[in-house]
Amino acid sequence: MTAGTAREVPGAAAADRRAWPAWPPRAGTRLLRLHAISRRVPAAIAAIAACAIGLRIALIGHWDSYGALQLPLVFEAGSAAAVTITTASPLGEPERVTGRRLPFLRLATTLTLTAAAAGALTAAGTGAHLAGGTLDVLRNVAGMTGIGLLCAAVLGGGLAWVGPTGYLVVGAYGLYTQWHGPALTTPWIWPARPPHDAGAAICATLVFTIGIVITSVRGARDPVGE
Amino acid sequence: MTAVRVPAAPRPMPAMRWHLRAAARLLRLELRRNAMPWMLPVAVCLFWITAYRKAMAMPPLWSLRAASMQSGALLAFVCPVAGVAAWMGSREARRHITDLVTITARPRWARQLTTWAAATCWAMLGYLGCVAALYGVTARQAAWGGPPWWPVAVVAASLLALSALGFAAGALVPSRFTAPVAAIAAFFALALSTQLIQGSQSYWQVSPIVAAPWDIGPDTGRGVFYPYLPDLPIAQVMFLTGLTMAVLGATALPKGPGVGWLRRPAAAVTAAGLLAAGTAVALAGTGKLDAHGMIAIPAVHDAASDRPLRYTPVCSHAAIPVCLNPAYASYLPAAATALAPVLNEMAGLPGAPVRVSQTATTYRQGTGNSVSVGLAGPPISGTPPVFHLLLPDQLPGPPMTTGGLATALRSSAGPAIVASVIGDGPSASPAQQAVAAALSMSAGLPQPSLPGPVIRRRSTTVPLPASVRSAAGRFAALPSPARHAWLVRHLAALRAGQITLAQLP
Repeated sequence: MTAGTAREVPGAAAADRRAWPAWPPRAGTRLLRLHAISRRVPAAIAAIAACAIGLRIALIGHWDSYGALQLPLVFEAGSAAAVTITTASPLGEPERVTGRRLPFLRLATTLTLTAAAAGALTAAGTGAHLAGGTLDVLRNVAGMTGIGLLCAAVLGGGLAWVGPTGYLVVGAYGLYTQWHGPALTTPWIWPARPPHDAGAAICATLVFTIGIVITSVRGARDPVGE
Repeated sequence: MTAVRVPAAPRPMPAMRWHLRAAARLLRLELRRNAMPWMLPVAVCLFWITAYRKAMAMPPLWSLRAASMQSGALLAFVCPVAGVAAWMGSREARRHITDLVTITARPRWARQLTTWAAATCWAMLGYLGCVAALYGVTARQAAWGGPPWWPVAVVAASLLALSALGFAAGALVPSRFTAPVAAIAAFFALALSTQLIQGSQSYWQVSPIVAAPWDIGPDTGRGVFYPYLPDLPIAQVMFLTGLTMAVLGATALPKGPGVGWLRRPAAAVTAAGLLAAGTAVALAGTGKLDAHGMIAIPAVHDAASDRPLRYTPVCSHAAIPVCLNPAYASYLPAAATALAPVLNEMAGLPGAPVRVSQTATTYRQGTGNSVSVGLAGPPISGTPPVFHLLLPDQLPGPPMTTGGLATALRSSAGPAIVASVIGDGPSASPAQQAVAAALSMSAGLPQPSLPGPVIRRRSTTVPLPASVRSAAGRFAALPSPARHAWLVRHLAALRAGQITLAQLP
């Protein structure tokens, strides 16, 4: 009896594995939707849209050299902070234990939102003088999102905004030192480097890649009750 | 009937003392459960990048480093303080414990104030630690003067205001997005508020990031020859304190259990805060750039601040000594060495200065953001004559290294000393031009040239005529004693334009 039961278990597991590809597409969509809602993705999209609109309105005004360079960085940091906040999970341990597709969902969410942020900010700068252009926006948003993701892994999703906002100060100061030394020229402060600077692009990409890998695989460090 | 020894009943604690002890215990709990300590490493790192590193690259002058510290420290702390305060303000709603804490004995405002106070205490502790490090190092390096405390007070008041604003935002809109929005909005408002400053009479100077007249930039002479003017910092502290009071008072205004009796005093506090903030903005708008490079606000100005500071200059030991303010003592060897060749040429000549004395820069606000900076009077004056020197560091521009300062001093003050003694200038005779060129040549100074026509707003110079250059070369080729002896005999006539090129030896 016991042996027979034991023989049945692998069979059931195999049947379950076979059932995976036949998962109904509507269930997949529902899972995506539920995951997005649980991570406050709609609010993050609204925040990104608000950043893009804010940038567009700000670009209408007249800014001096400092302002023109620092202005996009402020909205890029805002968008990156919005992306990183979506790493916070309200479900915690139960979701980690039961969710087999969780790393893919996290990866898809972060990539989609980062692309949306870069796209929205670039679109906001179309037809106006956006300092640095599209490449600058893409590099800065990706890099600052990476910093935020790393903060999410260390501090938790709720406090992940500390990374992008702290780096905003560093980046703005780096831009300022182009006029008033001592200049900060390290590629790790990529907002202060030209858009085509390879070192800065590599640093930003590296930070983004490490951040997205860690938070996709392990998720954010979230205390229970937040 | 057994006598039982009963312990005496404890005396009831006075109500006020009990309240204070309870408040202190609540504050201690909040201090232990606050997110701000976790953010302090971030703020300290940002302080190192934006304030400490920059200040250490500057000459060890108190006013210069304090002004740099004010704006740098504010930028370093703005995001962590505003963001974490918002995070703490939204804590009850975020953790879904609003109903639970509503039924506690404490009114909501008291709870919120305690949470805010705990977050602010941590922020203040981190900030004061950073200031102590920067001022401590500066105290060991500075040769003269003492630390200006007004910039420290302005940043401290800013942290109170930022913390209150962030906390109120978090309490009002308890969302995960509130904290980053508060942090970024605070940074945006502070960093880009300076875009709106036009001239010295701008209401936007009340922004705490403005540590000095915004159009001038770092100025080593500020607070060195004349007292550091606290007029603008007074207005800024008043504005920030008023803002803090208004925001904290406003958090008690929404209706809720246990705040009924609090609403009236809270409204009064809010109104008083708004009044103070509005008055401070109006005061900042009346500020004017004074002659010493600081903002003077007539309503709070102390006339005693217009008197120059007393100091004993530090002087080099030479025939014509170079005397500097003791705050610049570290520059004295470089300045004396840079000017030694030209001063050796001038020593003993009639009309030559008896000393070169550093003087204060004079400022005048032009139209818009333009400011003219320079000497108040002629470069050489008095009996016996004294040459008034402005170090290149006293003029607008980035602070210099000692080597850079020596080079700039040789090229600016050297020719000016020669010109003031020989009488060289736009109306000088060819012989004066030739002698000035010869002395510059022998002292290793840049060659003088004639002012040329103004082309497209750029002043140009043209080289000296060949006859003048030839005479200058001849005069410079003389042995130094012979040149000096000729000048002693003929300088008065040369200055009067009575010597021709042909009469030069």
